[in-house]
Amino acid sequence: MGFTKVTPKVVLAEVRPGQEVLARRGAMLASSGEIAFSPVVGGPGGGAYGGGIAASLARGMQGEAVPLMVAEGNGSVHYGFRGHHVTVIDLDGSHPMSVEADRLLAHDANMSSSVVFLGQQGGLRGAVRGAVTGQGLFTTQLSGRGSVAVLSHGGTFALRVGGSQQIVVDPQAYVAHVGNLRLDVATALSWRDAVGRGSGEGVQLKVSGEGTVYVQASEEKL
Amino acid sequence: MVSTSPQPLDPSTLPDHDNVPDNPYAYCVRLNGPLFMQTGRMIAYYPVGGGTIRFEPLTATSMTAMVASHFSSPLYSRDWVVANGQGHVILGDRGYDINSYDLDDGNLTVRAANLLAFDAGLELKESIIPGFLTLLGTGKFLASSSGPVIFVEPPVRVDPEALVGWADCPAPSQHFDAGWMGHFLGAARGAVFGTRSGEERQYDFTGAGTVLLQSSERMLEDPHVVRRLEGEVNQLGTGQLRHLAGVIQSRLSQNG
Amino acid sequence: MPWRLETPRVLVVDLDGSKTSAVRAQTGSMVAYEGDVQFKNAGMGGGGGLRAAFKQRVTGESLSLMEVTGRGTVHLAVDAGYVLVLDLAGDVLKAESEGLLCLANSLTTDVTFTGLQGASSGQGLFTTTVTGHGQAALISLGGPPIALRVTPQTPLVVDPDAYIGCVGNLNQSFVTDVSWRNLVGESSGEAFSLRFEGQGIVYIQPEER
Repeated sequence: MGFTKVTPKVVLAEVRPGQEVLARRGAMLASSGEIAFSPVVGGPGGGAYGGGIAASLARGMQGEAVPLMVAEGNGSVHYGFRGHHVTVIDLDGSHPMSVEADRLLAHDANMSSSVVFLGQQGGLRGAVRGAVTGQGLFTTQLSGRGSVAVLSHGGTFALRVGGSQQIVVDPQAYVAHVGNLRLDVATALSWRDAVGRGSGEGVQLKVSGEGTVYVQASEEKL
Repeated sequence: MVSTSPQPLDPSTLPDHDNVPDNPYAYCVRLNGPLFMQTGRMIAYYPVGGGTIRFEPLTATSMTAMVASHFSSPLYSRDWVVANGQGHVILGDRGYDINSYDLDDGNLTVRAANLLAFDAGLELKESIIPGFLTLLGTGKFLASSSGPVIFVEPPVRVDPEALVGWADCPAPSQHFDAGWMGHFLGAARGAVFGTRSGEERQYDFTGAGTVLLQSSERMLEDPHVVRRLEGEVNQLGTGQLRHLAGVIQSRLSQNG
Repeated sequence: MPWRLETPRVLVVDLDGSKTSAVRAQTGSMVAYEGDVQFKNAGMGGGGGLRAAFKQRVTGESLSLMEVTGRGTVHLAVDAGYVLVLDLAGDVLKAESEGLLCLANSLTTDVTFTGLQGASSGQGLFTTTVTGHGQAALISLGGPPIALRVTPQTPLVVDPDAYIGCVGNLNQSFVTDVSWRNLVGESSGEAFSLRFEGQGIVYIQPEER
């Protein structure tokens, strides 16, 4: 399986029985063969594929839902979204991957996923339903072996984190991370000068541990 | 670190009809006879020897006969000019990839917003598919795409926003996925045809030819849609006009 | 301290704690950093441009700079634009203020507003004049920047929304013939073009602002 990058903005996925693909709604550009698309429904951990699909919904920045569609059948699908760049990341199953909720384009349906809110109280919090207080961002955590396609404005670059190193990332530029990483969300008043651009209170992501962070060259939300 | 400045170009080093060197997002044409250009796509030009390059709107040109025989789309005529004169013209379009295409007694239909320029060997008509223009004849034209354009052969089903154009195969038919719609509609089955979201409508291509695709920005307000609707409104009777006013009012109150 | 490119769209600046390695960067352009780095608002870069900015009611965010100091490594980027780094050695660079990404501390700046019909018309350009010795980075939206040479025999006309900056001995004037641009109804864009004469280099970007 896996996604083949056709251009910096488009990936091609081969769909077969047992090899379904989950993608955000609106991401299908073209399909060839016998492919059926249907919305994913189900509660947390529910769904008919693999280890459970995250509530069928990733959460956008304000907590709003990003609906998912599953592609099944026999054929191929070109995926892309609104002209944004696509980065393909292949996971070998040893570590989960977290993607900023709005930036997940598509992934192998056999991977399991959950919604995780990176909150201000430090560390990770479990899936949240209902009102969320404080600053932070929603991420979709994907586990298992498979291929993930993520979106970014202009493409991503990878920063390796390891040892005693700590990297600080502008959350608006954060796309995803893989590995054994700890992300702390913190505010700093002086940060506002640095991030500007209407970012409000100025939230920063402090990344430490062992792994890779994917960052985009822009602070634009998708 | 040394500067990353690219090698400066000038009329002696700019190409006559090609992308700016190492730049898929900018295209240079040395004018050699009239060139039809879509407005707003010029980013720089070198007028030669103290002269000027004239850009005449199609609606106000002196070359009415020539224009009329090459451009038969009243809907889009306000968006086009004829460039005349001497010198190099550099075009850019929203940071899209720009490619030159050659037609040899051929035909190609392309999204109006993505057609940048064509020479007077070609004739332009409106396609039966709204928002698309058909070029016929022998000559060169320039078209843009968000990212490099992708070529796919029919049979293929395409999202309307991803469609850049098609060549040689018949115009597409529209496909509505009944199964998909069944999931979503439920009690609101009747209301869906008024909404445009998700993937409910697609274009089906069959036959022998090539389909051109891109991952494109969603155009929030396409001025061509408004123009087309205005044109159609003249053909409506009073009852129909009242019905349309109601639909528009309901949309306006939805948007709050 | 030399700068480098992580990708064509990301500028990396290493700071060693000294004043000479410190830089001024566009507010909000930091996407990631490592080490002990401080960011502080540095205003617009001096000059009469500030008053014009208030008149224009420009938010100032894309025109303001921040001081970046300390010891560490900073990744800078704006709108996924390509980065153009120029090495100034006593040259004068005139840059569209919005397109400035990063300036070495050794450079001096002056911001002016050139209006089409005076500063109050609302139509015009914010220009940052950069002088001295050191590196200056600009942003080219939509693709790699294009450098176009101007000589007395080859004047150049440019779309102001694609204009990034220029170096050399150039005379810049406004041209009000914009027949290549659709001004009827719904389009946006400046109602003028820029004409360059003299001797120098003009930088443009493939995307209109």
